[in-house]
Amino acid sequence: MEKEIIYSRNVNENPCNMCMAMGGIIPFKGIEESMVIIHGSQGCSTYMRRHIAEHFNEPIDVGSSSLNEKGTIYGGGDNLKKAIDNIIKVYNPAIIGVLTTCLAETIGEDIDGIASEYLKEKELNNLPIITVSTPGYGNTHAEGYWAAVKRIVTNLAIKKEKGSKVNIIIPQLSPADIREIKRLLQLMEVQYTLLPDFSDTLDRPFERSYKKITKDGTKIKDIVEMPDAVATIQMGVTIEENYSPGKYLEDEFGVPLYNTPIPIGLENTDVFLSLLSQLTGKEVPEALKQERGRLLDCMIDSHKYNAQGTSAIFGEPELVFAATKMCCENGIKPAVVATGSKTAKLAELVKPLCGDASLLDEADFVSIRSISTEMKVNVAIGNSDGKYLTEKEGIPLVRFGFPIHDRIGGQRLLSVGYIGTTMFLDRVTNTLLENKYNNYRKEMYQKFYWEPKKKTLAVPGS
Amino acid sequence: MALDEKNLEAMLDQYPAKVKRNRKKHILITNSKEEQIIEANTRTIPGIITNRGCAYAGCKGVVLGPLKDIVHITHGPIGCGYYSWLTRRNKAKTEEPGKNFLTYCVSTDMQESDIVFGGEKKLSKVIDETVSIFKPNAITINATCPVGLIGDDIQAVAKEAEKKHGITIMAFSCEGYKGVSQSAGHHIANNGLMDQIIGDGELEEGPKGKYCINILGEYNIGGDSWEIERIMKKIGYHIQAVMSGDGSYEELKNAHVADLNLVMCHRSINYIAEMLDKKYGTPWLKVNFIGVQSTINTLRNMALYFGDQKLIDKTEEVISSELAKIEPQLESYKKICAGKTAFCFVGGSRGHHYQALYQDLGIETTLAGYEFAHRDDYEGRDIISEIKGDADSRNIPDLEVTPDDKRFRLKISPERLEKLKEQIPLSNYKGMIPEMKDGRVVVDDLNHFETEEFIKALNPDIFSSGIKDKYIVQKMGIPSKQLHNYDYSGPYAGFNGAVNFAKDLSMSFESPTWNFIIPPWRETPLLEGSIEEGEA
Repeated sequence: MEKEIIYSRNVNENPCNMCMAMGGIIPFKGIEESMVIIHGSQGCSTYMRRHIAEHFNEPIDVGSSSLNEKGTIYGGGDNLKKAIDNIIKVYNPAIIGVLTTCLAETIGEDIDGIASEYLKEKELNNLPIITVSTPGYGNTHAEGYWAAVKRIVTNLAIKKEKGSKVNIIIPQLSPADIREIKRLLQLMEVQYTLLPDFSDTLDRPFERSYKKITKDGTKIKDIVEMPDAVATIQMGVTIEENYSPGKYLEDEFGVPLYNTPIPIGLENTDVFLSLLSQLTGKEVPEALKQERGRLLDCMIDSHKYNAQGTSAIFGEPELVFAATKMCCENGIKPAVVATGSKTAKLAELVKPLCGDASLLDEADFVSIRSISTEMKVNVAIGNSDGKYLTEKEGIPLVRFGFPIHDRIGGQRLLSVGYIGTTMFLDRVTNTLLENKYNNYRKEMYQKFYWEPKKKTLAVPGS
Repeated sequence: MALDEKNLEAMLDQYPAKVKRNRKKHILITNSKEEQIIEANTRTIPGIITNRGCAYAGCKGVVLGPLKDIVHITHGPIGCGYYSWLTRRNKAKTEEPGKNFLTYCVSTDMQESDIVFGGEKKLSKVIDETVSIFKPNAITINATCPVGLIGDDIQAVAKEAEKKHGITIMAFSCEGYKGVSQSAGHHIANNGLMDQIIGDGELEEGPKGKYCINILGEYNIGGDSWEIERIMKKIGYHIQAVMSGDGSYEELKNAHVADLNLVMCHRSINYIAEMLDKKYGTPWLKVNFIGVQSTINTLRNMALYFGDQKLIDKTEEVISSELAKIEPQLESYKKICAGKTAFCFVGGSRGHHYQALYQDLGIETTLAGYEFAHRDDYEGRDIISEIKGDADSRNIPDLEVTPDDKRFRLKISPERLEKLKEQIPLSNYKGMIPEMKDGRVVVDDLNHFETEEFIKALNPDIFSSGIKDKYIVQKMGIPSKQLHNYDYSGPYAGFNGAVNFAKDLSMSFESPTWNFIIPPWRETPLLEGSIEEGEA
C-alpha cells in the first residue's frame, strides 16, 4: 500500500536522475578531437559542465548557443551557427555534437536543418555535425547518453567490407573501468572498436603542454567502420530498443548483436569473457583465470560479513543491474533497487534475482529513503546523492556511478572485470565492517551490560 | 611580466574579426590617466566557453535559494532543479526544528505531456503536497525555460494557492533565456522579495537602544556571514536580516525596521538596497568584509554613520582585540604569500573584494574581472545614467516603489547624509577599477580561451575562479583557489576568515606536489614580442 502512495505523488523530492542533455555530453567526450554544443540557454551548458567537471576533476569544455529571449521568438538558428563558427575557430574539432534542450525543443528548432545549412554555407564537407534531440522533459541522463551514442553511430557508420573487429559499446562507466575493459580485450587478443572511449579524455594524465582537445578517444574512422564488424557486444541489457545503437547496427547492417551486462560480478564477467572466446575462438588466458580465482577467494573470505548486508542500489539502470547482480552473488541482500529512469526492463531483469526487493523506477530519494529504513538497509550503493541516506538515516554509502562530487576520484573507481569486482566487493564489505565496528561496542554494551546494570541500580532504590 | 596593448592585440587576433571587435570592448588595461569604459552585461558570444549561467541560476540558485524556511519549487523538467541542488554552499543553521529545507530539491519534474498540455495543474498539486509535507513558512515557484514558452500562468497558480493555504506563495518568472546572465535573475528575485516579503512583518522598529542593520548581498558561503555576525554582535549591532545567507522569511519580512543596510554583493542586491532607501528612508553602505584592512574600514564607516562616540570606541576596541589575535597567526602565512601574483575572476563582487585580501597578504592581483556584472560594478555608480538600456535589460522591468505612508522615516538628516557621503561609500559604490593599480588587466566575462592566453602572458602564482576553469589552470601547472565554493573550505570573511584564506593559499603554495611540475613557459617564452621602453 505504501508504495502506491509514493507513486501517486506529483512532487519529485530529491531527484535520482538528471536531464537528457547531461547524459548526451559524455559520449561526445569519448571521440577523438570532438566538441559539443548545447543549443539553448547558456545556463544549461554551465550547470552541466560544473557537475561533470566536479566528478571527473577535468576541464569540461562544452559550448552553448546562448539563446535568449529574441531567439525564443525568431528561432535560434543564427546563434547556433555563430556558436559552431567560434568553436571551429578556437578548437578546430574533427567532429561536433549538437544537443538540444527544453528551450530548443519547445520552440521547435530544426537543428538538422540548421546544421546542414551551415555546412553548405561554409562548404565544409568533412566536418560531421551530429545532432541529438535531448529535451530535459524527454527522459533522464541515462537515456540521453544512449541517444547520443546511437546518433553518433547512425550518422557515421557506413558499410564497406567484412572486417574482423568486434564492436564494444559501453554505458557510462568510469575511465578506470574502460581501461580495464580494454586490458581484458587485449588479453583476449580481440581486435575491437570501443565506443565511446573517454578513458583518456576524461581522466587525462598531467602533460607538459595543455591541449584543449586531443586525439584520444574513439577514432572517427573506426566508428565509420562499425558495420564491418563481426559482432557487437553492447553492455546494455536494460536499454529500450529505440535507444540501442547495437540494434541499429544489427537491423541496418546485419552485425549480430550481443546485449550483455556490464562485466561487474563473477557471472557477468564470465559471460563477457566467454562471449569473446566464442567470437574469436581464443581461450581465456591463464592470467585471467588466476584473476577469477582470486575473486572467488575474495568472495569466500568475505561471505560471512556480506551475509549481514542488506543493500539499497540506485542510479542508472545498467549500473544498477550490474551492482544488484554482484550483491546477489555475495549474499548482500538487495532490498531496494531503484532508478530515476522510466524502464520496465530493469524490473524484469532484477525480479528473478531478488524478487522480494522493492523495485522502483522514476524514483526520487524520498521514496528510496522510506523503503530503505523500512527494510533496515545497512549499505547503500550508488552516486553521491545517496549521502542523503547517510545523513538522515545513518546508512553508509559505497560511492559508485555518476556523479561523485563529494569525494575525489570518481573517475578512478574500478569495478569491472574480476579485478574490478574484487575491489568493488571489498569496498562494500569494508563499509559493512566499518559500520559494524562503529556500532559493535555500543550494541554489545546495550545487549549484555547496560540493561542488567540498570536493573541492579534500580533495586536499592525500590 | 606585464601585458601591453600590443600583446593584447596579438592575443585577440586569434579570434574571428567580429568576435575580436566584441571582446576587445570587454577587456582593458587600467590607466588612471584616462577615462576608461568597459562593456559589460551584454550578450555572450555563442560558442565562447563562458562561465556565465542563466536567469534561473541567479534567481533560484543565488538570491532565493539560501532562504531556509521557504521551500523553493523548481517548476520545470528535472535538470534545473537537480543542478541547483546544494551547489552554492550557502550554510544555514536550523532555528526552529524542521524549518530548514535547504537540503531538499523539490521539482515538478515536467514530462513531455506537461509541455504539451500545460503544467499548471501539476504545479498546483505539487504546491499542495509541499505544504502538507514540509509546512514551510513560505513557498517560491521558480520557472525554467519551457514554462514561459508554453504559457503556464504561474502567477495565477501562486495567487490561488496562497488563498488556499494561507501562506505566502511567490512565483518568479525567471526562465533561463531571460536577460544575458544570472544578473537578470537577481533582479527578478529582488523585485519579488521587495514586493511580497519585505515589509510584511508587524514590527514598527528594531530593538530599543541597539544599532539595527540588515546585511544585503551576503550568501553565507562556507559560513562567511556567521563570521561577520560574530564581529557585529561583539560590537553591539543588532542584525535584523541577512539577504539571503542563513536568511529566513521570518526575519526578512521585518527588514524594513533597520537603520542601515549594508551591501556586500552590489550586483545581486543593489535593487533592494535602492528600493529600501526609497520606500523606508534607509540608506545603504557599501561594505567589504573580505580582507583585514577592508573589514576594519567597513567597521569604522559603520560607526561613523551612527556617529555615537561609544560605538566608535567599542569598534576600535574590537578591532584591536581581533587584530591582536590574528596578526601573529597571519605572520607566517604572509611570508609565504609575499610577492606572489594572482588572477581574481568571480561573479559580481568577489572579483573586487578578494583583491583586498590578496593585498593584505602581499599578493598583487594582475588580472581581475566579473562574470555577470554591469558597468557600474567596474566603473562606479556615477556612470549609471550613461548606460544605455537594451532589449535584454528592458525585459526585466524595474519595480516602482514609493515612500511608505506609515513606515517611511528618514534615518539621518539630509544634511548629515550629504556630509557623510563625502567620507564614506554611503548609497554609493565606486566600483572595482578605481581601486586597481595601473597596468592591471580587467576582463569582463572571461572565457576559456582567454584564460589560457592570459595565463601564458601573465603567469600568475594563483588563479582564483570557479570549478569550470579550475582544472584547465591546474593542468597548466598553476594552483587554483575556487572563490565560488572555496574548495569546501571557509569562512573567508572577517578577521578569522582572513586567517583561513591565508592558510589555504599557503597550503597551495607550499604543497610539495607542485615541485614536481614546471610550467613550460618558465623555460621557454610562449608569447613572442619585443619590449619597447619609454613608450606609454
